[in-house]
Amino acid sequence: MKRQFKPEIAVFHCISTFPDGAALPFSEDENFSIKSFKLPCSSMVKDVYLLRAFEAGADAVLVFVCPQGQCRYVEGNIRAGKRVQFVKKLLDEIEIDGRRLALFNIATGDAAAAVEIIQKILPEIVKLGPNPAA
Amino acid sequence: MIVGEQKTIAEIKEIIAPYKKLLILGCGTCVKTCFAGGQDEVATLASALRLALRKEGKELAIEEFTVERQCEDEFIQEAAAHISPNSAVLSLACGAGVQAIARRFGKTPVLPGVNTTFIGVLEKQGLFTEECLGCGDCKLAVFGGICPVTRCSKKLLNGPCGGSQKGKCEVSPDLDCAWQQIIERLKILGQLNNLRVYVPPKNWKTSHAGGPRKLVREDHII
Repeated sequence: MKRQFKPEIAVFHCISTFPDGAALPFSEDENFSIKSFKLPCSSMVKDVYLLRAFEAGADAVLVFVCPQGQCRYVEGNIRAGKRVQFVKKLLDEIEIDGRRLALFNIATGDAAAAVEIIQKILPEIVKLGPNPAA
Repeated sequence: MIVGEQKTIAEIKEIIAPYKKLLILGCGTCVKTCFAGGQDEVATLASALRLALRKEGKELAIEEFTVERQCEDEFIQEAAAHISPNSAVLSLACGAGVQAIARRFGKTPVLPGVNTTFIGVLEKQGLFTEECLGCGDCKLAVFGGICPVTRCSKKLLNGPCGGSQKGKCEVSPDLDCAWQQIIERLKILGQLNNLRVYVPPKNWKTSHAGGPRKLVREDHII
């Protein structure tokens, strides 16, 4: 019997999105596994961090940033958005598929929104299949 | 500064194809500032190449290192220990840096990872504009510090062509008319009389058109 694909998802998030001490509202289950990386500001997410997550075997990488206009450092979330766009193009260029990387705005501590996002995009990640470079 | 742009992954993959051990060598000066070849770009390119090649089932050992300047021997020697164990160097410096490394390490293939484009300035974060053609005979004193040789599409030396509209060049509406800028600047400086100075046609032998150039400073040669 064919083994079911269980995507590995890496989540980079701003410390303000899920403040210190607050865990991301996910637990391991049969559908996916998740690893989260907390950053002082989402703008700290360098291009290479996103790529190395794929090198480490992630099937998808998500970046959670503060809502527009609510970045503590004014434009950190905008910078993160620019970097994500750049890396998406790079992923397309190397045929890993830029759709494996996405950015979402989430209000501080909005765990329900994070869960909803994962549930919404999970079918697309499953459709994309395992990371071809893992 | 010298402005450059990283080559596409497809082109880089093609030129590194014969090699099994590769050093990606960054340069921490001009190409770092224009996001083409500094330490961050070395790391990003290395990661992207590893992913691309792994996807194709190919093996390539990649080492990463960055020196302050690839165009100076003093800094180049720091790379020596990293170059010798590798079968090729992919330099993310400008063309001068690539050649300086190739000259210093004659037995190692040195490959360009960047297209060197122009001498320019950082106009604002992420925007670089060409400002100097390196013609070898600078007349900026007459032009209020704005170079028509570089910034006028027609390279006119004695006033505007008359084709600009609303301060934009008729060749490309994306370009500001250099002569409009020169006149406005001369007005501010109270030097409009400079427009009466006849600037003779350029003798391009001082530029690259006269062949590769060399600068000798005897006072610094021992």
